Amino acid sequence: MTKVLNLSIAALLLAGGVYLYADDDEREEHEHKRSAVVAKPMTPQEKSSVALYTKECGACHMAYQPQFLPKRSWDKTMKTLDNHFGTDASLDPQDHKTIQDYLVSHASKNDQMVDMRGAVALRISETPYFVREHREVTKKMVTQPEVKSFANCNACHTQATNGSYREREIRIPNYGRWED
Amino acid sequence: MKYLAIVSMFSMSLMAASPEVVQYMNELSKTAKTENSSFNGFDAARGKEIFTSTHTGKQGKPMACTSCHTTNLANSGKNSLTGKVIDPLSPRANPQRLTSTKEVTKWLKRNFMDVYAREGTAQEKGDVLAYIMKN
Repeated sequence: MTKVLNLSIAALLLAGGVYLYADDDEREEHEHKRSAVVAKPMTPQEKSSVALYTKECGACHMAYQPQFLPKRSWDKTMKTLDNHFGTDASLDPQDHKTIQDYLVSHASKNDQMVDMRGAVALRISETPYFVREHREVTKKMVTQPEVKSFANCNACHTQATNGSYREREIRIPNYGRWED
Repeated sequence: MKYLAIVSMFSMSLMAASPEVVQYMNELSKTAKTENSSFNGFDAARGKEIFTSTHTGKQGKPMACTSCHTTNLANSGKNSLTGKVIDPLSPRANPQRLTSTKEVTKWLKRNFMDVYAREGTAQEKGDVLAYIMKN
């Protein structure tokens, strides 16, 4: 079973996918396994775009899966890289275009801007989905030095860099597993 | 004669930077000369001052290169905003450093902006590179 699951993770990752779900119930596992089977492998061009994205954006923070934000958010982020949360994160034009194309083509199709009263989210942690999923997480868990902020997904989601956010993979530093 | 001195300084530094980065430094050197007629080669001591002194950064807060890179370039640093580990800057500790002009120019631009809230001059950039090479 574990082996099958690992294989499905590999297949999904190949497609640049992400496991986005809150609860580890059996039904969802099955749904995700099915989607993994139909996921298309990445083309060499997609692979090199992902590698560039991971290198450039991952130099300072986790290279968040593009599926976490809608196109509008990525457009705004990429337009304001010279002042990216107070830091100059500008890129050369060619790399900028490659990364922008990758983010936009893998952006969330589920634009939740209606919930945000028209605001365009720049931080994933501002999106309604994120807020809902983390509503029971205490401030102390997040601000402790081992986590620092919600920006460090991988501080608690041990497989975040691989695109997997299963509940059973959560280990909150100094707290441990997440129990509902 | 002065030119010879600059060239010999770079050839001594060859171990610490790739040929393309040395070439980039030669270009910086030419620009520095046109911008400052008394320019007489890059200086690691000036580079150290640029690297270790605190300034009002892009965010309007005190910031230094050492805020993230620490004062020992052979050690790993830490992004002061995100906590992400930064590999050592010293080419001896980290042979990947100073091998790509694209990387060097990208980070010099970004980090001068973050720490000094402006781009570095050719002389300043070269001085910082000379300092990094020596460490």
